[in-house]
Amino acid sequence: MIPLRRFLQLAGSAALAAAPQSARAQSYPSRPITIMVFVGAGGAPDIIARLIGQGLSQRIGQPVVIENRPGGGGNLSLQAVARAPADGHTLLLIATPHAINVTLYEKLNVNVIRDIAPVASINNDSFVMLVNPSSPVKSVAEFIVHAKSNPGKVNLTSSGNGNLTHLSGELFRMASGIDLVHVPYRNTPAALTALMAGDVHVIFDALPSAMPHVKAGSLRPLGVTAPARVKALPDVPSISDTVPGYAVTGWLGIGAPHGTPAEIIAKLNKDINAVVSDPEIAARLASFGSDPFTSTPASFGKLIAAETEKWEKVVRFAGLKIE
Amino acid sequence: METTFDSLLLGFSVALQPSVLWYAFLGCLVGTLVGMLPGIGPLAGISILLPVTYGLEPTKAIVMLAGIYYGSQYGGSTTSILMRIPGEAASVMTCIDGYAMAQKGRAGAALCIAAVGSFIAGTLSVIALTVVAPPLANFALRFGPPEYTALLVLGLIFLAYMSSTSLVRTLLMASVGLLLGTIGIDVMTGHFRYSFDIKELGDGIGIVPVAVGLFGLGEILSKASKDVTGDVIRPKLRELLPSREEWRQSAMPITRGTVLGFLIGIVPGSAHIISSFLSYAIEKRIANHPEEFGKGAVAGVAGPESANNAASTGAFVPMLALGIPTGPVTAVLIAALLLHGIPAGPMLVNEHPQVFWGFVASMYVGNLMLLALNLPLVGMFVNVLRIKYYYLYPLIIMFCIIGVYEVNNSIIDVWIMLIMGVFGYLLRKFDFDPAPLVLGLVITPTFELSLRQSLVMSSGDWTIFFQRPIAATLFAVSAILLLLAAYSAFSRRDWRAKLAEVEAADKG
Repeated sequence: MIPLRRFLQLAGSAALAAAPQSARAQSYPSRPITIMVFVGAGGAPDIIARLIGQGLSQRIGQPVVIENRPGGGGNLSLQAVARAPADGHTLLLIATPHAINVTLYEKLNVNVIRDIAPVASINNDSFVMLVNPSSPVKSVAEFIVHAKSNPGKVNLTSSGNGNLTHLSGELFRMASGIDLVHVPYRNTPAALTALMAGDVHVIFDALPSAMPHVKAGSLRPLGVTAPARVKALPDVPSISDTVPGYAVTGWLGIGAPHGTPAEIIAKLNKDINAVVSDPEIAARLASFGSDPFTSTPASFGKLIAAETEKWEKVVRFAGLKIE
Repeated sequence: METTFDSLLLGFSVALQPSVLWYAFLGCLVGTLVGMLPGIGPLAGISILLPVTYGLEPTKAIVMLAGIYYGSQYGGSTTSILMRIPGEAASVMTCIDGYAMAQKGRAGAALCIAAVGSFIAGTLSVIALTVVAPPLANFALRFGPPEYTALLVLGLIFLAYMSSTSLVRTLLMASVGLLLGTIGIDVMTGHFRYSFDIKELGDGIGIVPVAVGLFGLGEILSKASKDVTGDVIRPKLRELLPSREEWRQSAMPITRGTVLGFLIGIVPGSAHIISSFLSYAIEKRIANHPEEFGKGAVAGVAGPESANNAASTGAFVPMLALGIPTGPVTAVLIAALLLHGIPAGPMLVNEHPQVFWGFVASMYVGNLMLLALNLPLVGMFVNVLRIKYYYLYPLIIMFCIIGVYEVNNSIIDVWIMLIMGVFGYLLRKFDFDPAPLVLGLVITPTFELSLRQSLVMSSGDWTIFFQRPIAATLFAVSAILLLLAAYSAFSRRDWRAKLAEVEAADKG
């Protein structure tokens, strides 16, 4: 039986004449490819996965279906792919949370390092430190002074306990030695709303969701978390100028179940790199404030391992544990 | 004012282009279907069709996706009224009196009132959106955790008016709902609660599987245990339209539901689900004959159905004016705009007036289309009731299972629905009402989170709830309601005390 979702999509695409696809007969892929995404439709990672999926499908001549498996802090999507056949038809959108979860979750029966073979990287996302525009604080240095003179009164918000918006703040706390009270919200829009209302005082949010509010002036950027200034916000300094060594980058990439044949991974790597380097898609990513980058499967694997190690320290420092 | 009028004219010049009209119609049609299918709500419907809109120009895409959203609020009432299956969370309350009306042979009337109520609420809300969006959006920003806590306390008090059973039974059901709502990861500390190592339970128990199970499956199972040989309701054609009396009874509930729904709709967060619950409770609280609720009271259909439509339109206020989504559905709509390189937010009106005003104007047109789409279909829908149960029910169960699975691709959700179905059957057998349970489940996660967020914000100082004007007002209203209830409980016996006696006599 065709799942209803796919049926509706196919029917919908047929009715509205979707983008043309060049069909090339090859042994792989022999049927549609599924990319499991750890957020619901409409989140920034979902949008990026759909962009990549569209480009990939034009290159390999098979539809690429984005399947949203939100929940479990990203572990549900990881688990679904880890258990799928290792034939390259089920792929995972890997992201920083998967590396954080290795340490964060007490009991984890799936692990991104052990169960997933890295395929290709997609992009780097800088985060940006934001305050309410009515706040007296105008720079990272002023923020640190403000927090030191008001201990226990400055609230850090995030889109949930243990995720990257939270841990970027914990890393800042660790690196600058200030005291922040964490008030988590259920998702990014809710946290940004609270910041605009002045109920909380600072957030470290990814550029794609923060950019519209920065441009409109409803939130004030203090610094970007990337080690240097980013193109999307040329006037905003890097936090590392004030807090040396501070750097946070969110990244996305594609992975396959452990044991997927090397030639399939190599083919996917070549195609995904070509999609990511496509000027049109790169421009699209850049318009979200996202920085596309390509890598070999091996170097992407190294990145995942290095990030896992880095966030392990922050998770332990903050004393976080999900059990 | 004049500029608003000019802008609206620009909007209509966009919205009335045949191609845009076509996508608005498509959206409304899909929305109606999505609302009718049990389990699949507007969020799932929009997520499924989001990729299809990639190739469209932004105005058409947003017009179609928004049509799915408010169209689903029309469709949701159909299965609730005919089969007691809530198509999505917002139509749970319609299951109660809508279904009771259908059992009395007034299915056509209930469907008509739901459609007309939705139309009036939808249209009035779009007018409000056109005229007062920016100032209202700033009001939405003032709704932080303390205000949320106060609103949900009010919701808890209204819980007691939700049901047609005695107070003890109502509160018992509500407690079960509140307990179920605590399942999942504790957002503040990250601890799993009552999840039994099932990862899916970490995100809590979904409202839709519970509602579909308790109401829909429970009803189907209990029908199967009764002797219903050929006992099919056959509505006559001339009974399809509501009587003059029924129109009269629904006028005020529609008005109140619209105002209430719109105000709750603009509050950021997931409060809009409670709009239909609150509307039902208010109608019952102020009714002359509250004992009729649950037995087919017209107001019990008209109020909640208008409220959920008004709320879905109200949700566009902060989305369009501030670029903040009020719920998951508007979040997806913002993403759809972003996909086309248009950031929703304060700049939207100035930078892309044809998108903004075209979208607003399309909602005027869309509501008309939905009315034209739904009213003639009433006669057809009612005929579903002629189908013999042994054909109809297996089909419905199949649709329920597919629908609930599709939302999150989660088999756990299907199990929750099936277990709740059995539970719903038992509740029906022993005359318990599941509505308070569902509201309890809706309230708990947000109530707990906002209470704790408030206290962290104030470093543990409880006076934060009285320093903020909106929160303080809501608490004052709650206190007055409690005092009134206490007064009537002590001074004279109200209708619920009589109910408790009847229930006790049943057992004796």
